[in-house]
Amino acid sequence: MALVQQIQLQGGPGARDRARRAAGSPALRMVGRRLLAAIPVLFGVTLLTYAVFSALPNDTAQAVLGLRASPAQVAALNHTLGLDQPFWVRYGRWLGGVLHGNLGTSLEGQSVNSELATHLPVTLELLAYALVVSLLLAIIVAALAARRPNGIIDRLSLVVSMLGLSAAPYAFAFLLIIVFAVKLGWFPVVSGSLGSSPASWFKALTLPAASIGFPLFAVYTRILRADMVEQMQREDYIVTAKAKGVAPWRVLIKHALRNSMFTLITVVGLNLGTLVGAVAIIETVFSVPGIGNDLLTGISNHDVPLVEGIVLVFALITVLGNLLADLLYAVLDPRIRYGSSTS
Amino acid sequence: MSVRTACLGTAAVLVAAVAACSSSSSSGSASATGSALAQAPLKTGGSITVLESAGYSGAWSNLDPAQDKEGAALQDFNVAIYGQLFELGTGGKIVPDLATSYTFSPDAKTVTITLRQGVTFSDGTPFNAQAVYYNWERDLGPIAIKNGLNPPWLVAMQPAPKGSPPGTPEPVAAGAIQVTGPYTIVVHQTVPNGAFIDQLFDSIPNWIASPTALQKEGASFGQNPVGAGPFTVVTNVPNTELVVKKNPTYWQAGHPYLDQITFKTVGSDEAAYEALLANQGQVYEDMSTNALLTESAQHFELENNLGTSPYDLQLNTSIAPFNNPKARQAIYAATNFAPILKSIFGNRYPQTESFTGPGGICYEPVVPGYQGYDPTLAKQLIQQTGLNKVTIQLGTIALSTAQESMEALRTEWESVGLKVSVSSWNLQQLIAAFEANHGKSWESMVQTAGAYDPAGGIGVGFRFSSLSPFSGVHDPNLDKLLNEAQGSTSLATRCGYYNQAAAYIAKNYYGPFFFTLAPSNVSVHGIGGPGLSTPLASVAVVPTIPWEDVYYNPSAS
Repeated sequence: MALVQQIQLQGGPGARDRARRAAGSPALRMVGRRLLAAIPVLFGVTLLTYAVFSALPNDTAQAVLGLRASPAQVAALNHTLGLDQPFWVRYGRWLGGVLHGNLGTSLEGQSVNSELATHLPVTLELLAYALVVSLLLAIIVAALAARRPNGIIDRLSLVVSMLGLSAAPYAFAFLLIIVFAVKLGWFPVVSGSLGSSPASWFKALTLPAASIGFPLFAVYTRILRADMVEQMQREDYIVTAKAKGVAPWRVLIKHALRNSMFTLITVVGLNLGTLVGAVAIIETVFSVPGIGNDLLTGISNHDVPLVEGIVLVFALITVLGNLLADLLYAVLDPRIRYGSSTS
Repeated sequence: MSVRTACLGTAAVLVAAVAACSSSSSSGSASATGSALAQAPLKTGGSITVLESAGYSGAWSNLDPAQDKEGAALQDFNVAIYGQLFELGTGGKIVPDLATSYTFSPDAKTVTITLRQGVTFSDGTPFNAQAVYYNWERDLGPIAIKNGLNPPWLVAMQPAPKGSPPGTPEPVAAGAIQVTGPYTIVVHQTVPNGAFIDQLFDSIPNWIASPTALQKEGASFGQNPVGAGPFTVVTNVPNTELVVKKNPTYWQAGHPYLDQITFKTVGSDEAAYEALLANQGQVYEDMSTNALLTESAQHFELENNLGTSPYDLQLNTSIAPFNNPKARQAIYAATNFAPILKSIFGNRYPQTESFTGPGGICYEPVVPGYQGYDPTLAKQLIQQTGLNKVTIQLGTIALSTAQESMEALRTEWESVGLKVSVSSWNLQQLIAAFEANHGKSWESMVQTAGAYDPAGGIGVGFRFSSLSPFSGVHDPNLDKLLNEAQGSTSLATRCGYYNQAAAYIAKNYYGPFFFTLAPSNVSVHGIGGPGLSTPLASVAVVPTIPWEDVYYNPSAS
């Protein structure tokens, strides 16, 4: 409705009609529905995380103060941190802060907002690097493989994909380190502060991105290749295009690939949630200063505000990623864009 | 045919990768082991990267000593930026740094410390007794108390407001610390304490910050710290990277040797080892993975430093079955740590029968009257006390060394007819396990007990005093011995009491001791300095390396 009001306020001839059309747009309605549905999802994720942490046996204040702290010191810090309050009071207070844009203070005394502001961009850059490169490579390799099923490229891609699917990212990361950092000296073992130049950024994030991206590349390649082969062998529109004399490459890229992208987009959207674990591990291996690294530290320190803030952000990324996937459907399929029947 | 070619090509890539792995682990095998190489000749200048473990020293948020929640874990940075009042030197010597001397009053209650003259902080502020007083007031005052960081000094505190719970920390009372001259500061303790200087090591008051910078920077001082140490901060990205450069106004002529040090956080021992192989780091402290220690000895300098905290088995004497001395003796007789030390730890660490290690004061590896391994006696005592009819609860912290030790003990005990249930917890869960049911829920724990000075850190009192919530012993006679040991300024007297305490623990079977874990530092060839090419004693977990004395001579690699 905000968009409708904005268009109305802009005035001008036909503004009301455009606003009505926008409000009635199936894509926009879908965005609205998805955003509304995200609210209980995010609420559930944060509540579950809070509940799990509360159920774990711990004494956060004693751990912060050390073993030598007196019971009075521990009690004082518990009070300062609000840990002496019942679960619902603590969660309600945290949730109230979130609704006002304040994610709280970590046990280290740092604002979680500022922690995220510093480290979230690094993680997003790493994820984007891994996703973009793995998608581009997967599309190229899958197209090449689908062009001649069971040919040399197809078989080779199968072997490489199987490697990517079966190798644990942690082990693969160390293989990359040994080959490309220790033996060849091309990239650093420790990413550290990434540096300020694009070259240092590229050097610091390439191995972590490859460690995250290789299994993704494997999944995307296999799924896209299978879908494209099916399209090429079974769909009538492909036969028609071929009969019309359209060049084989054009049939493959313009027709089969375009249709197969729906499957790929669905898988990418669903995969976002599982990336959380990979990011946390890989950021730790390479000491990338991102929120995945912070998440593991927060969990081991029982730093509830920090973990809650990061979990919320990851949940938000997953929800928005899936929303983006839905919007891409609309971009690729005019029937969704214009609200036509898809049956 | 094309398929076969594709598979062969892939196989070739795999073989190349595997070959790269295997050659990386053997490339240095032709060189001499670290210990066999002579120490590299001294060279000034140059820079190094020190890798800091993400789980310990590589996690920092605030470099203001009074707000240092990571405590001794940040000793590398604090020593580089602030220097120290006193250093713990090679051979356990107390080395004057920013302080030049100390004296105790005859009753060991008053300590007078004399400071070095002509020193300035790197921002030009004079280093003197007022600066130290300003720091100590912060360290013992509201800022540190709020964070629970105030050190447990035995000085008079301000009276607590009415209604405060007992034990509520208060700032130090007026007159407890006095500036008696431009370079003299006096601490008045409420009880005799001859361990005061030893207790300074690796603690917040040993690191003095510039009062001017503290006032000017306010809350951001922790990100932009200023001290009178050998290095000044260039860039500081918390938890990630700290770059320091040589302090041009450092008091000690010719020091520091290095122009720059980059401290970089690394996620694991394995990643640190690879970074050293790639020469992307030159030093890594406290390597604890056994397999990597063996590999590191092939490629790098491996300095096995002097341990101070032995592993021990705590027995809870408040509850059954270990409220029975015979049951405790059965455990002593059933425990043989020699084969465990050999098979799991490659005999890397020395066995001990007491709470002291070879790096600390009053080291006593053999204690008169200590009940040794005797499986026949163990079986008799187990039958006699009914230990074979119960399941012994054995716990420890979730660290690989402790867990391996615990599992080995279980196997050994089961071979003499005991039933054992084991648990391992993270620190918070371990604390909760100790505190549950007012300390009457746990039965036995594999822990460490001891410190450089048994009166400091997680020392003997921490595991054996009646006052500690992490002790299984509540014996006024032992408390008295430990207090008398701490109360003397004579090392001989102190060691006499500690030896008596060790014999008393052995006589009452309060808990057997195993071995003293020694932290191992790894550095590339060409690095020289205390703790890296010569052994140092550790106060807390790893030795405090005086970075002003470290150098790098790559030509000696």
